[in-house]
Amino acid sequence: MVFFRSEERAQDWCVAQGHTLRPLVRMDQLWALATTWYATRLQADSRRPKPEEMRSIFTGLGLTGDFWDPRSDTFG
Amino acid sequence: MDLDARIKLAAYAHFAETGRGPIPAEVARRSGTDVATVLDAYPRLRAQRLLLLEADGASIRMAPPFSGVPTPFVVSVGGTRYYANCAWDALGIPAALHEQATVQSHCEQSGEPLRLNVGRSGPEPSPWLFHCLVPAAKWWDDIVFT
Repeated sequence: MVFFRSEERAQDWCVAQGHTLRPLVRMDQLWALATTWYATRLQADSRRPKPEEMRSIFTGLGLTGDFWDPRSDTFG
Repeated sequence: MDLDARIKLAAYAHFAETGRGPIPAEVARRSGTDVATVLDAYPRLRAQRLLLLEADGASIRMAPPFSGVPTPFVVSVGGTRYYANCAWDALGIPAALHEQATVQSHCEQSGEPLRLNVGRSGPEPSPWLFHCLVPAAKWWDDIVFT
């Protein structure tokens, strides 16, 4: 999970590294993810979102498709 | 509050106050328990994906969003420097602390430095982008790589 200056830089890096370019996320979307995951992390009853909650969060931010589907993200 | 929650909060409080990971004795002190109790709780907190431990079972590699080891994702809040586990967690630290912060990192392709000011309501407008190679369903298969 890294930063890129632009989509072109991300594309160049993926080609050079032999990786598939994944969906790119804007900073405002990333802030929404960060607050959803961590805003209560220093509280006693905090927990990670469960898979169904994750799917809803991603969809609400326009992050859709198989890449964002956490269906096999089971919790130990 | 149950025991695991006390131990989790103690570990996280140490990260939040110091920017560094605690040793088990510090977690025991903060939680009013002992080292054996802390070490017994750690695998349960790992199972909840609230901690990632080093091989010794006692050192905290990750207490997301905080990193117990230096990374290229540095977050400054007041006079305290934190290491985040990744780009997502770099914004996660100001979100968790509810404080203004400055995130310093770089473009993974060009090395161009990133300096992003983050207020209590979010980051300043920025054209920078976040990218993750690993699909959401696989993030915790190898969370260090993710």
